[in-house]
Amino acid sequence: MPGKRTLDYAAYAVFIALILCAPLVLEEFWLNRIAKFLVYGLLGVAIALSWGYAGILNLGQGLFFGLGAYMMAMSLKLASPTSLQQGSATPVPDFMLWNAEPGAKTDLCCINHGSFLWTPFQNPWFGIGMAVLAPVLVATVIGWVMFRKRISGVFVSIIMLALVLLVRLVVIDAQPLTNGFNGLTDLGNLTVLGVELDPYEVVTYYVVAGTLALALIATRLLVETRAGLILQAIRDDQNRVRYLGFDVPLYQVFFFAVSAGIAGVAGLLYVVVAQFASPTFMDLSFSITMVVWAAVGGRASLLGACIGAIGINIIEAGASETQALVQAWRAVIGLIFVLVVLYLPRGVAGFASDAADAVLSRFGRKRPPAARPASERVAS
Amino acid sequence: MSAVLTVDGLGVAFAGFKAVDGVSLIIEEGELRVLLGANGAGKTTLMDLISGKTKSTQGRVHLRDTDITNWEEPAIARAGIGRKFQIPSVFRELTVRRNLEVAGCGKPGVFANLRFGLPRAARRRLDEVLDLIGLADEAQTVAGTLSHGQTQWLELGLLVMQDPKLLLLDEPTAGMTAAETLRTADIIKSLRGTHTIIVVEHDMAFVREIAQRITVMHLGQVLAEGDMASIEADPRVRAAYLGSKGIH
Ligand SMILES: Nc1ncnc2c1ncn2[C@@H]1O[C@H](COP(=O)(O)OP(=O)(O)O)[C@@H](O)[C@H]1O
Ligand SMILES: [Mg+2]
Repeated sequence: MPGKRTLDYAAYAVFIALILCAPLVLEEFWLNRIAKFLVYGLLGVAIALSWGYAGILNLGQGLFFGLGAYMMAMSLKLASPTSLQQGSATPVPDFMLWNAEPGAKTDLCCINHGSFLWTPFQNPWFGIGMAVLAPVLVATVIGWVMFRKRISGVFVSIIMLALVLLVRLVVIDAQPLTNGFNGLTDLGNLTVLGVELDPYEVVTYYVVAGTLALALIATRLLVETRAGLILQAIRDDQNRVRYLGFDVPLYQVFFFAVSAGIAGVAGLLYVVVAQFASPTFMDLSFSITMVVWAAVGGRASLLGACIGAIGINIIEAGASETQALVQAWRAVIGLIFVLVVLYLPRGVAGFASDAADAVLSRFGRKRPPAARPASERVAS
Repeated sequence: MSAVLTVDGLGVAFAGFKAVDGVSLIIEEGELRVLLGANGAGKTTLMDLISGKTKSTQGRVHLRDTDITNWEEPAIARAGIGRKFQIPSVFRELTVRRNLEVAGCGKPGVFANLRFGLPRAARRRLDEVLDLIGLADEAQTVAGTLSHGQTQWLELGLLVMQDPKLLLLDEPTAGMTAAETLRTADIIKSLRGTHTIIVVEHDMAFVREIAQRITVMHLGQVLAEGDMASIEADPRVRAAYLGSKGIH
């Protein structure tokens, strides 16, 4: 059905045009908020890829988001004015001084155990690279262990859920290195290629929107490849795929790592826009919230899940303007989730797709049969 | 003629119970072998052993000159053995055409498949397979909505698309109407000669329709081997199988 696919691509084009044109009508305060929501949209894409296309419901996606966020935040913490004014050759984060080993030299190399790990983060490119690489590597190792052992379904969800909570505890516990509960705050702006990404400047918004647009297109192209097709086949029937000669775990690990990489980029951008990283990124509730966004938007659709994440957050932002609604918001979002699961199992995107089908078939039927080219009749 | 598959004294025991016990078979190039036997005779388990689903505890399996005993399933599939399951399994959320595209991807690795569409030759073959399994009109139908018989044909199509040296078909007509069974016999007959096939079947009308050489299994062992007439005349087969329940 070529008409359907055209509509699908048109939806991508309209969405991308909308987010790129938003600065024409929105002021800075709202641009910054929307940029955060676009980051959530990126998380929606990551969830849809792993849940919708690979059939892996990851209840610990916050692990990869958090990793990306912390890697970027470490670089930006070292770039902040306070870190640069500790009277040492290297920038030193303020919380490291509060947690310094007795008598230790005020320098990244040795102010406390492990502080040397921060040294390479003085280069922002190292932080950027690690924000993507660390989640990808961690996902590859976890995925390799899980999928080699043919662990699937709810067991993957539980393992990921346990892992994100474990890492959250470790981050909180490593107070001298991570500032524990408080997270990394008072960050500098990211400066790359001579451009300073102030969160309230429009250039920062464009970086976020451009990244989301690229990620959407790239991920969409990725699932259109033969590997993406095989991934969907694995989701439907792993065993069948195995007996066709494909190494199932390789495919699962690859796409699991891609999804983690996207979440890592989201974490990176979130830090640039929101200027903090916190262990709350690895709270269970945040990982579950992402899943709800994707479910409402439509987990089988990359764009649907993305719009779901953005849409829910815009509504939430609107609701928080009204005092009464702030209290009720959690109940409202819970209700929306239940209604969608009951009545729109494929989310809003699934509903839109069915509606498009209905319109197209109506449109198709109105055309006289003779008008259809012979080739189309044979093919359909 | 040369042997495509050589099974030599193959067996497996589940907690001491020998489901397959010292089975030896030689399948020639282009042969269509029917595997007969009552429920529980060990036919499915024998296919499991050949295709790597179950690891054997005795004996060897050779595909041509390669010893494939107890290899991993994908490795055995790549060596050239295709398997159709007793319970049909297809990719339910993909269309019929996309199902066949999966089987036609050819290369096993994830990076080798980071490209769009099938090679031209595979696309042409896909259309032929659609015609062969009679699903050309259903190419855009989502597989989960196909009838039971159509699902069986689609799985058969996956195997033809995969194009292995040897096809293992476990009860390909299970749950089919008489008309569908005949159609399936036609499909399998059209593969005869160009493909080497082992098929497990209960339906005697179907077996008479397609059989050349038959192997009868009983309690995990080979009881008899020969053409239809000699099998029906064999007193041991009658005693163990035909005599009690009759071939159904
Ligand atoms: N994994 C298994 N564990 C224990 N017993 C099994 C297993 N697989 C098959 N069997 C037993 O092996 C016997 C042969 O089964 P099967 O090969 O399915 O027979 P058939 O396909 O000829 O009807 C049956 O008695 C079955 O219960
Ligand atoms: Mg059986």
